Amino acid sequence: MDQYPDEDEEFELRYQEELEMLDDLPPEGGEVFVHNTTINHNNTINSVNAVDTIDSPHLSQISGISVSTSTVVNRRLFGTPSGPHKRISSTPLATNKQRGALAPIEEVVALTPLPECEPLEEVNEPAVELQGMGLRNKRRLERDLFGDIDDLFQNETYEDPVAKKARTEEERDLEMIEKILETRRRLQENNKAVRKDDLSRLKALHEFKMRNLSYTVPQWPFQVLRRGDRERVFVRFHSEEYENHALEDVRAISQFDGLLGENKQRIWAEANDIVLKRASTPSQQQQAATVSATSSQESSQDEQLWVEKFKPRKYIDLLSDEATNRSLLYWLKMWDKMVFGREFKKKEEHNVNSTSNNLNTFNKRTGKFESNGGWRKRKFQSMLDTNLDEHGRPMQKVALLCGPPGLGKTTLAHTIARHAGYAVREINASDDRSPEAFKQALESGTQMSSVLNEDRRPNCIVLDEIDGAPRQSIEFLVKFVSDNVINKVRAKGKGKPERNLLKRPIICICNDIYEPALRPLRQIAFVVTFPPIETTRLTERLLQIAQREHLKTDFSALYAMSEKSGNDVRCCISTLQFFNAQKKALTLQDVLNANLGQKDRQQGLFDVWGAVFRIQRPRKQLEKSKLNDNTEDVEITMTDMSTSTRVRNVLDVVHGGGDYERLTQGVFENYLHQKMPDPNLTAVVEATKWFSFSDTVQHQINHLQNYTVYPYLQFGFAAWHLMFATLAWPKINFPSKGFEFRQKSTTQSNIFQAFRKGITTGMNGLGQGHVILVDTVPLLKRILSPQFRSVAVQLLSQRERDDLYHTVTVMADLGLTYTQVKAAEGSYVYQMEPDLDALAQFPGYPGIALNYFSRQLVAREVELERIRRSTPRLGAETSGKSATSNPTAAAKNATKNLPNHLQRLKAKQIENKNANAKKDVISKDFFGRIQHRTVGGTREDCKTDAIVKSPIWYRYKEGFNNAVRKDIHMHELL
Amino acid sequence: MALWVDKHRPRELSKLDYHKVQAENLRNLCQQGDFPHLMFYGPSGAGKKTRIMCLLRELYGAGVERLRNETMTFTTPSNRKVEVMTVGSNYHLEVNPSDAGIYDRVVVIDLIKQVAQTHQIDASGQREFKVIVLSEVDELTKDAQHALRRTMEKYVATCRIILSVNSTSRVIPAIRSRCLGIRVAAPNEEEITSVLQLTCKREGLTLPAELAARIVDKSEHNLRRALLMLEACKVQQYPFTGQQDIVELDWQVYLRETANQIVTEQTPAKLEKIRDRLYELLAQGVPPDMIFRGLVEQLVRNCDMSIKAKTLEYATLYEHRMQNGSKHIFHLEAFVAQFMNIYKKFISESMMMDDF
Repeated sequence: MDQYPDEDEEFELRYQEELEMLDDLPPEGGEVFVHNTTINHNNTINSVNAVDTIDSPHLSQISGISVSTSTVVNRRLFGTPSGPHKRISSTPLATNKQRGALAPIEEVVALTPLPECEPLEEVNEPAVELQGMGLRNKRRLERDLFGDIDDLFQNETYEDPVAKKARTEEERDLEMIEKILETRRRLQENNKAVRKDDLSRLKALHEFKMRNLSYTVPQWPFQVLRRGDRERVFVRFHSEEYENHALEDVRAISQFDGLLGENKQRIWAEANDIVLKRASTPSQQQQAATVSATSSQESSQDEQLWVEKFKPRKYIDLLSDEATNRSLLYWLKMWDKMVFGREFKKKEEHNVNSTSNNLNTFNKRTGKFESNGGWRKRKFQSMLDTNLDEHGRPMQKVALLCGPPGLGKTTLAHTIARHAGYAVREINASDDRSPEAFKQALESGTQMSSVLNEDRRPNCIVLDEIDGAPRQSIEFLVKFVSDNVINKVRAKGKGKPERNLLKRPIICICNDIYEPALRPLRQIAFVVTFPPIETTRLTERLLQIAQREHLKTDFSALYAMSEKSGNDVRCCISTLQFFNAQKKALTLQDVLNANLGQKDRQQGLFDVWGAVFRIQRPRKQLEKSKLNDNTEDVEITMTDMSTSTRVRNVLDVVHGGGDYERLTQGVFENYLHQKMPDPNLTAVVEATKWFSFSDTVQHQINHLQNYTVYPYLQFGFAAWHLMFATLAWPKINFPSKGFEFRQKSTTQSNIFQAFRKGITTGMNGLGQGHVILVDTVPLLKRILSPQFRSVAVQLLSQRERDDLYHTVTVMADLGLTYTQVKAAEGSYVYQMEPDLDALAQFPGYPGIALNYFSRQLVAREVELERIRRSTPRLGAETSGKSATSNPTAAAKNATKNLPNHLQRLKAKQIENKNANAKKDVISKDFFGRIQHRTVGGTREDCKTDAIVKSPIWYRYKEGFNNAVRKDIHMHELL
Repeated sequence: MALWVDKHRPRELSKLDYHKVQAENLRNLCQQGDFPHLMFYGPSGAGKKTRIMCLLRELYGAGVERLRNETMTFTTPSNRKVEVMTVGSNYHLEVNPSDAGIYDRVVVIDLIKQVAQTHQIDASGQREFKVIVLSEVDELTKDAQHALRRTMEKYVATCRIILSVNSTSRVIPAIRSRCLGIRVAAPNEEEITSVLQLTCKREGLTLPAELAARIVDKSEHNLRRALLMLEACKVQQYPFTGQQDIVELDWQVYLRETANQIVTEQTPAKLEKIRDRLYELLAQGVPPDMIFRGLVEQLVRNCDMSIKAKTLEYATLYEHRMQNGSKHIFHLEAFVAQFMNIYKKFISESMMMDDF
């Protein structure tokens, strides 16, 4: 059979290290991640872990022959040297099955008393077991993980380096993507190609059995197993080299269903029975339940979801767009400097050898990777900032994956994070995401690493379904990411606030990137939009799964299914499993009848409008299958034309579209363009009734929050569809008129507001609110366009001057004026400010009939009028104040009424009075010469008077040319 | 105050040009220095505001005419700033709460309460209450009106509220019952003519009776409109002639043309053009009910008796729906389409009849 026995001693020697480690560390379980990885690398575990569970993993390969196949395939592809290393690369498709098989047989093994056997409890439960193994092999796993990508890239470096240098980076990247795609293709081909030669396969199988199994005690090193019928089977141990050889051989026989052939099921059932018996001891009820669940596997209906089962485990398995994968991986790799550079130092003491090795190569690789990452320059440059900040982190510290459901965003995030050597910590919608809990999770995720489970990988936080998180949480995330969260604990200790530094990558996943709550995040995040998966690629994968699960189907059915589900991987696989459970073949008809893909998918607006205005043509024929030539063309109508179907379709689409208001507007602006035989406009009338109905309903919802009427909104679309839909492709324009109308209304109301603000008090005659717009403004425009000749003001006739004066006063009253602005053509025009011209202005109607010159004239006059109005008011105020009875105030006013210079002179006067008292004054004449003279008070008064009376004054030694001043009044200038 | 509407506006109750009996009653009303809440109702341009101002002057004296503009800012519960312009004197405050749109309730609550709660410090020599003049109360949302009703009762000691309303039917009964309603009817033709003549006399112009009659006709009993038209006519052409053009309101002309287009052609393409015109009208701030009214008047004028009734019926139907909705264009278009439908049917039927 497919196992490769080896001498026990050899094993013990080989895995001495692990054994010792094992002894040191208490087994830990429960971490989901570990679980996953273990499954992922079952193969490795199998070979490695023989220590404790003897050879059960080897035995397990009995059922999962495909494992070996894929191992070979992968090895061939990557060209890695032999060793435990290569074995990790198993196809995920196989691993689960293998895992399923693993459990019961381990039980069997446990029966046989062997010294290395683990206590029964642990063996009993496959998950625990696997985890245990995962722990022990953690170190190895880590290297394997990195080894995988190493392979990917080493593959390239193996090519002649000279030529490689010559190529541009971009070419290299293209090639890289090509290569990955090629690898994938080969993987698939391999799976298919080998299947045919059954004969040789059987022969090889027989030979293999002869060589490796025996009912009597053989001469080669062996392992004893007990078959279901109590028969002892001796299974041969092989050396490592032999295994490699055998692997090469078995490659030829990849696609047969289990090494035991038809007997497999029976043996399987028996094995399970035994397990059941053993397990159902009273002390172990719990385990019995588990095992009985396992035993139900006999009908090949796993309790596990296929979606989980066939999840991509490896980077290479990913179905999503290669460029997307790469960009995300690149971003994650940019964290290496921060994450692993630091961790390297920390971990050095603990496990010196392997870890440091690992990280060294890893870092080196990173460097290499960065140097040849040319693809990002092409496509993702705009989105991904490739610079690192001062702490060695990428500039964008969060990646935001977005795309419709079922494309594998979560899978991608997990796979890539694992691939890059992180432990994934997922926070999804099922977790508490209140800001507090969020904070807790983020902080623990980024600043701690798990100590208990021996998994020393750094964390990578995956925030799944983030579009449902509360806004505060997202705001906190943004703050957290931009290092603005202050560490309070430390702040207390040191007395100085210290900013928290984000040291771990965070990947966010959302469906709708334009969710308002996500806006702050969107600005700082590296946004990766998920393109839809190609239908053919998905179909091929589905075909693989179907083959592996022995589900009878054909390419066309799967193709139809993937198309119908909108390339939703999850939906397709689940449907497959469902059909499988029904135990019947999946035909095209089934797919067409199935109710899949009818979920809430966000439809584009145009899709919805298209669906409203177009009758979908019945699709008679599906595409001829490209791969499976044996499928005949199937003639099936995909849609029927009955009214009920049409209505249902439209309702579905509209429902998916949401946003009824916008949709209604779109229909409203397009329905008149549709070709309709409607001479009496009956349909139009009907349609408009629906419009007014939906508006009424919408009003109810918006203004009264009466959401009970919401469901009725959608039926309008059905009505419009029935009235206006045609088979022809409709011309649909984006509804812009409603928007333009709103724009215009806003502009108008702004002008109107400005106009109303300018109106001086007491202009009550204009009216209130819309009355101004309706009655006053149109007439006002006429009133403000007087007729006069384009001459200077002085030359106008008396009547013209009166008209002008009237216009000017009205404009001044209303706070209107003309301002010169540059028109679009480059010429200057005088525009009313606020733009009364634009108010109540209809196309084709004259506005204010004034030419440029007249406007200029009016503008000037209005300015003057305004100045004129403002000056007397000041005078009136002061005079009003001076009229008050208070004598001191009056005195003050009097001083105020004096011109500036007099006030200062007065101050001097006081000085002079002091001097007067002494009767000895140093007075200066006009030119500043000192005049020694005793002056009498009267004389001095006279002197002041002389200065006061003159409107011109000066200041001595002012040093400016405006030292001589004169009061000028506004009216003198006008 | 250069516009004639303002310049020649009566400032005292005794100087009002028409409704003199009512003016006398108003004077009697505030003889005792107090009055209840008032609601002036009547069509636009009938002189409601003039009477309110006269009444205030009668009450407080000339100080009421010293007005000042103020812009008040309110914060809605949703943290939106709403600006409302107020005009006020020491004694009163004029607000148009419907300026705030759907946030008018905030204005009513905040502003009116704020004013109403402040007592006059120096009660001597002044009235004990302030007056709040609210214009366009019928445009208020129901919420705001309900907010008003309690305020009116609660602060009756410190303030009186004068409402200016076009149609009482849109004021909730609760408010109507709290106010003394004063109907200001639109002036009749002679009254308008006399006002026009008086204005011209004051301005030193001569107005031919024929022109005056035409202006009165065009003005639809709206005195404001009549005076503005007169002034516009004067600007266009002075010495007045009986046959001179009277400036019409652009939107009315536009609406008339729209109605004519509806009658000339009834196709979906035309309907779309009509829609553009309706959008234009709405964007220029013409209230949708006025559009409705204008359309119906024009359409009915141009069509046969047999479909007049139907047209009116549908107009009322869709106008009512419009009041219950928020997108006016839908309802306007629905009406136009309905009319096109009726009209086309009628035409084709009459053609058939002709054939027989």
